Amino acid sequence: MALVKLKEFCIPDKPEQVDACVAKYGENALILAGGSFIHGLEARGLLSEVEALVDIRKLGFAGVTAAAGGLHIGAMTTFAQLEQLPELGSAPWLGALKDALTYPPMQIKNAATVGGCLAAACPFFDIPTALLALDCKLSTNKAGAKREMNLADLFSGLFENSLEPGELIIEAKLAKPAGRAASAFIKLEGTANDLAIVNAAAYIALDGSGQCQEARITLGGGVGDNVVRSSSAEQVLLGQKLTEELLQRAADAVGQDIQPMADHRASAAYRLAMAKVFTKRALSLALSRLN
Amino acid sequence: MKQLIALEVNGDMHEIAVEADATLLSVLRDNLGLIGTKRGCDSGGCGCCTVHIDGKAMYSCMMYALSAQGRKITTIEGLGSAEKLDPVQDAFVKEGAVQCGYCTCGMIMTAKQLLHDNPHPVEEAIRHGIAGNLCRCTGYHKIVEAIKTAAGN
Ligand SMILES: Cc1cc2nc3c(=O)[nH]c(=O)nc-3n(C[C@H](O)[C@H](O)[C@H](O)COP(=O)(O)OP(=O)(O)OC[C@H]3O[C@@H](n4cnc5c(N)ncnc54)[C@H](O)[C@@H]3O)c2cc1C
Ligand code: FES
Ligand code: FES
Repeated sequence: MALVKLKEFCIPDKPEQVDACVAKYGENALILAGGSFIHGLEARGLLSEVEALVDIRKLGFAGVTAAAGGLHIGAMTTFAQLEQLPELGSAPWLGALKDALTYPPMQIKNAATVGGCLAAACPFFDIPTALLALDCKLSTNKAGAKREMNLADLFSGLFENSLEPGELIIEAKLAKPAGRAASAFIKLEGTANDLAIVNAAAYIALDGSGQCQEARITLGGGVGDNVVRSSSAEQVLLGQKLTEELLQRAADAVGQDIQPMADHRASAAYRLAMAKVFTKRALSLALSRLN
Repeated sequence: MKQLIALEVNGDMHEIAVEADATLLSVLRDNLGLIGTKRGCDSGGCGCCTVHIDGKAMYSCMMYALSAQGRKITTIEGLGSAEKLDPVQDAFVKEGAVQCGYCTCGMIMTAKQLLHDNPHPVEEAIRHGIAGNLCRCTGYHKIVEAIKTAAGN
């Protein structure tokens, strides 16, 4: 037991109770969703200052609404619930999210929530890489004050997010593209139950003449403090007809935007090499979904 | 700081005084004596603590006991009895899918959900489905065979 200073375990059923708990404990109140990241932090002795856990399961913001304009994913939606969404099987633009959801083990899919996965600001997770490629927007709420932000603005450092104490992610929103668009995600992992050595997602949209109108390429897994968007790779594709040769050139450009790290999983050089390989594969897979 | 909580485990209600940061795993094993659920890594890496929460397989080492209030918890003890094994337990015995046995209870709880969601899985789906459970002994082959047998494949 590593929550040595824990004084209160709150299970609010109204948002105001979250506010009350946060007002009392400030930064030492920790929001608890599925708990799958928090337990990892606790096991490493990183939660020794936490005085209150605030379990938000009863607040209700789970479930996905699919509208003509796109998807609204409640922050407490689990990966397993998200995986059930019929649109994931049929819409090529959501391919990256569908792919990313195949990796976590069953037990994690049943527990882990979309909000927790994003708020963790962990660059080794997969779903954030996929959602960043889909240009995800967030709605947050703190004591009744609502805020909208781009997912990229949530990440403010390694395991650091830009939320204020007590500010909750309520929804992750994906806008449906107007034209022909597809995305894909792929992960390199050491074992079937491990964090990414590298992961990559690609989103591409074509205009009426088949040229690349929009591209978003994102990478995670120890290539930066947060999930990285590679604008250098995207620039290679914009306004061009997408050939395999061009996709390779774009993939080779990711090296300009990432800072691969070395750890027990892989060396920096291996991560750099694999970042290119996996970006190319994600791009090719996305392109194949457009044909 | 101990707190009194009520947990529904295998259909029985238990009132227990627990530390607020106690995991469900520790309460099952150390307070309720349900030691079929094993403690391996205690941090989401091995799967031998897998139980069902409202019918879904989860790592009990990654859930606070207080968060499990109001939910239906099923452990391996709730599946079958020595006299009447659950079909998945029976298949693990028949196929010899157990060596040291440390992973077995978690593996069976995972297999139960796998077969519930997909009653006739192909081998790849079985291997993918048990990816969150480690076995250091069997090499997985007999475990996969046992799940096929339980599925009637
Ligand atoms: C064994 C294992 C395997 C894994 N495999 C994968 C994988 O293959 N791919 C992958 O992408 N991920 C994987 N993960 C990571 C997993 O996705 C995250 O642990 C999970 O998504 C975190 O969500 P949670 O609901 O459990 O969050 P919690 O652990 O409850 O919380 C995480 C953080 O977010 C904060 N928080 C939670 N909800 C909110 C909210 N609504 N608003 C504001 N702050 C909030 C909490 O305070 C905490 O800081 C794995 C994890 C484990 C343990
Ligand atoms: S003890 Fe829970 S996953 Fe290892
Ligand atoms: S039988 Fe020993 S760990 Fe699986």
